[in-house]
Amino acid sequence: MKVFMSVILIGFAAIAGAQEQGHLDVRTTVQKQEVFVNEVGESETRLVPAEVVVPGETVFYTITFSNVGAEAADNVVITNPIAEDLMYVDGSAFGPGMEILFSVDGGATFAAAGELTIVEDGEVRNAEAGDFTHVRWVMQNDLAVGAQGTARFAAVLE
Amino acid sequence: MIASVFAWMRRVTFLCLCCVFSSPAGAVGTAVGTVIENTAVVSYDLAGAPVTIQSNTTTLAVAERINLTVTLQSPQTPVAPDDTGRALLFTVTNTGNGTETVQLAIDSVIAGDDFDPTPAVPGIYFDTDGSGDFNTGDQPYTPGTNDPDLLADESISVFLVNDIPTGLANGLTGRSELTATSATGTGAPGTVFANQGDGGVNAVIGLTGGEAQVTGEYLISDVLVSVVKSQLIIDPFGGSEPVPGATLTYTIVVNINSPGTAAGSVVRDAIPAFSSYVPDSITLNGTAISDSADTDEGEFDTSGVPSVVVRLGDLTQALSPQTIVFQVVID
Repeated sequence: MKVFMSVILIGFAAIAGAQEQGHLDVRTTVQKQEVFVNEVGESETRLVPAEVVVPGETVFYTITFSNVGAEAADNVVITNPIAEDLMYVDGSAFGPGMEILFSVDGGATFAAAGELTIVEDGEVRNAEAGDFTHVRWVMQNDLAVGAQGTARFAAVLE
Repeated sequence: MIASVFAWMRRVTFLCLCCVFSSPAGAVGTAVGTVIENTAVVSYDLAGAPVTIQSNTTTLAVAERINLTVTLQSPQTPVAPDDTGRALLFTVTNTGNGTETVQLAIDSVIAGDDFDPTPAVPGIYFDTDGSGDFNTGDQPYTPGTNDPDLLADESISVFLVNDIPTGLANGLTGRSELTATSATGTGAPGTVFANQGDGGVNAVIGLTGGEAQVTGEYLISDVLVSVVKSQLIIDPFGGSEPVPGATLTYTIVVNINSPGTAAGSVVRDAIPAFSSYVPDSITLNGTAISDSADTDEGEFDTSGVPSVVVRLGDLTQALSPQTIVFQVVID
């Protein structure tokens, strides 16, 4: 039994080791705006970590990724679900060098924002920001070794 | 723990609704205590081999947003000098996302009117029977004793009750204000009450500041109304004796004999005992009114004591007189 256990452990370690070599480091943060008064007494807004929010507040998700491996990564695609209680803020998705697509069917299919439709009461209408279930960023170029990128979107708590 | 499971179940329900109707969120927003997790998924090819990895998971906790609204349900309310116990109806709604205890207050010294109504003691009642009319079944509000607890999106109907001072001329107005205040606290939108929300989460003051006030108005409208009823008897023998088979023609004349408006005036006259209403005999100012309850001004109402009912609406001196005629036959 002991032997079996240790084999499994070694197996995990091997997989983990393989992923660390030549893969991407991906981190997500969530922030919200805070109004503060600057040195000259003016009100300014800044982003602070969001832990607690109330309905109507806007939160900003930022996904940063970097190639910490030894080989370039091709066809990098980042997909982020939009939680049920959040509504995507129209036009907020952002990602340098990336095409931005959305899903309205729980992530089964993706298309550009203006190309999505919804069937409602038997009638087809254009999808709106509130219909989006996922955001997807598709990198146009390879992610070179050591390179990093950022993807961001905003959503309102319903 | 049970609460959070419930929150998830609610969210699942919402999801289903979204699929069918693509409806936006509920009226009051995401339930307090809901936890929203987010994980990004990244896929890529490495030397031709596909790889999929996940980011860390971020967590957002939904705090309680405190929001109250008050709306006035009563139109400007006609009253007479020396009236007592005149009520104004309001609705208090919890538009926050958690349960909130609400404190109520009456103020009848309001700028911009002509007189100050005198709050009754007690001056605030709940519309306990849900009738919309202030009556004896309605329970008084005692601050600190029966402050209502309102669930998210829940409303309660509240009366402000005032007496009307003596010696006021027609046309004068007096206002009375209901203030509803969150028991958790009030303050500028965004003010945080740490750990004071449902389940110990933070409570945050919403756009209404945790307090809402709305003013209702009384109008002195001391209208003098006269109602005169007369009868004409025609018996089967060509005379005017009230014998069986005789027809009685009743004429009711309503006059307003002063300035002001008798709002929503209704004449209801029961058919006398030992007599029967003559079908289709009602007229108002010479125009026939059908017996059925429909869109015209009246009907023959048999739901209780058989009665002739005619709605005269908002009557003024200029609209006087109003003449109602109907007939009965003595049994």
